[in-house]
Amino acid sequence: MHGRKAYQLVKDFASGEKGHLKSFNNELFDRVIEECNEHHNALQSLIRKMQEEGLEVQTAKNADHYGALIHHLSLIRNKRCLMAYVYNRAEIVRELAWNVGLLHELPHEIQEKLNETEEQYFKDHSKSLKLYMSQMNLDVNVDMVPPKDPYIKVRVLEDLGSGIILSDKTANFARHSMHFLKRTDAEQYISRDKDVSY
Amino acid sequence: MANYYNIDDILTEEEFVPVVFHKAANGVIIDPSSETNSVEQGAKVELPLWLAQELCLRQAVSISVPACFNQKTRLEIQADAACVDLRSRSPYFYEFGCKIAPLVGDKTVEVLLLSAFKIRYKEILTKAYTAAHTATSKFLTLLTKEETNLYEAAQSSMAAFKKWRKGGPRLQRASVLGRKRKPIE
Amino acid sequence: MASGSEEWSAAQIDDYETLVSTTDVELLKRAWRNEKAAPEILPFEEALVKRAKEQIQLMEETVDDFAESGHDPLIASLYQMDLDRAQFLLRSYLRVRLQKIEKFMFYIWKSDTHRNRLSKEEEKFTERCIRDIGKHLEETVLSKLADNYQSLLKQSIISEEDDMVPEPQLDTFVVAKCQRAMRPLYLDGSRQSASFDRDDHFQMVPGDLCILHYRPFQEELMSGNISLV
Repeated sequence: MHGRKAYQLVKDFASGEKGHLKSFNNELFDRVIEECNEHHNALQSLIRKMQEEGLEVQTAKNADHYGALIHHLSLIRNKRCLMAYVYNRAEIVRELAWNVGLLHELPHEIQEKLNETEEQYFKDHSKSLKLYMSQMNLDVNVDMVPPKDPYIKVRVLEDLGSGIILSDKTANFARHSMHFLKRTDAEQYISRDKDVSY
Repeated sequence: MANYYNIDDILTEEEFVPVVFHKAANGVIIDPSSETNSVEQGAKVELPLWLAQELCLRQAVSISVPACFNQKTRLEIQADAACVDLRSRSPYFYEFGCKIAPLVGDKTVEVLLLSAFKIRYKEILTKAYTAAHTATSKFLTLLTKEETNLYEAAQSSMAAFKKWRKGGPRLQRASVLGRKRKPIE
Repeated sequence: MASGSEEWSAAQIDDYETLVSTTDVELLKRAWRNEKAAPEILPFEEALVKRAKEQIQLMEETVDDFAESGHDPLIASLYQMDLDRAQFLLRSYLRVRLQKIEKFMFYIWKSDTHRNRLSKEEEKFTERCIRDIGKHLEETVLSKLADNYQSLLKQSIISEEDDMVPEPQLDTFVVAKCQRAMRPLYLDGSRQSASFDRDDHFQMVPGDLCILHYRPFQEELMSGNISLV
């Protein structure tokens, strides 16, 4: 039946954990592209046949017309599935740009799930967000939770080095050291899992 | 198409429906019973909804009520809607039903969907708020995708409420980064 | 403002209280709630955002002065919390809007009404979003398809209109609170007509909370008669 591979591609996306990316399924993706071309070839040959018989393709509703129609519909169905696969993954990539912090690299285990164009899209979107924030002179990717306390006590899990520049001081983030951080500073590190909140 | 990129919409339209072809079609292999690569006028075939609905709109086929809305299911729903395994009929039972109803010209499908949903919705909310795990896990396997979303929304808003009442850590590792790995000592 | 080591006079504290003007914070809160609850992007509150940024700036300077002057740390921390809350509201308001743009960029760009609701910076952001996703989809999918099927907005060249554009669900339900007295409305949003032959009309009085379809009540929301929760 037409469109089954495309359906599998969409299912592959849907079967992932919500908000998480699986590896880009190149094999299945390429197979669906191939099928698109097969449908297009079949479509073209049916159209040619009608034209050779001197028939108007859109109005002469014979068996060839309906065959061509079915191939056209299958092509746009495949297109929809391909587009949705990439588009919905791109949504998650955008979320990564928001959450992981725009100055930082993606963790390796996430990076290997993206294909090349997705990696570029991550960079492009990060730039767009950064540009907006610098034009507004305001960070919009901090403060994701309504504030209760202005300061949080944190303990550093991994040695992050000295001379860490925060909004109100510099600090030495040696392992096991404890600090009083401004909430917005702490947020950045906690969401990347470098500290634990107390 | 307002829902062009919507995954659930795409998956719903993959559900199969029985059709009868009013017009023949050449050069397609969609009728498994056909020996040639074509479909004959009058052929009875199961097609995915995305194809069936377009062909129906162009009067090339007519669609009949799919199996998941058959008499057996209707009787089960009338008897005890909350216990029917709708997911095995179709994980997109309601969405599928809504799309099918105008195409098959059967008004009773809408009535069926509405009554099933009302009864089951009550059950879903009750189970979400009482959270007795053993009783609910079987129930969850009967739910369609939409019902599962409702259940999870109810549960998470309940959990958020309890967390807000209790206090506790409010900042978390960004969920998009995945589960914590064991720290390397 | 007091310099360095002097104590704050009552007059100066009064001035500060006026800075933390409840009216603007209330307005910002309402704009934030409306934007969060509405399915479509609402008009940008340009003047309000400008004022809020200025006030936040002033509050930051004040809190810094407090820290330097060694003013009672408890009071300073309370002012800091006020500042934090104002900043949160502003950031969240802008964030919600950006996320709507990310979701419905083509829809917003195509409609003059919606495009005019964006700030200049948001417009630039929308343009870049469209360019970035367009490039991505082009490279990954569209360039690999046959000519007639390569459009980003049309499924094929025989599509009569742009049929690949995601749209917000305007018929969704929202919880609305009545802010000002209004004339009686019908559930479909139309106003009371001369003929009183319909019985699905209702009257909201200030303070009333109702669950409504969003679409028919867009006008009421824009005019401030209702706000969303």
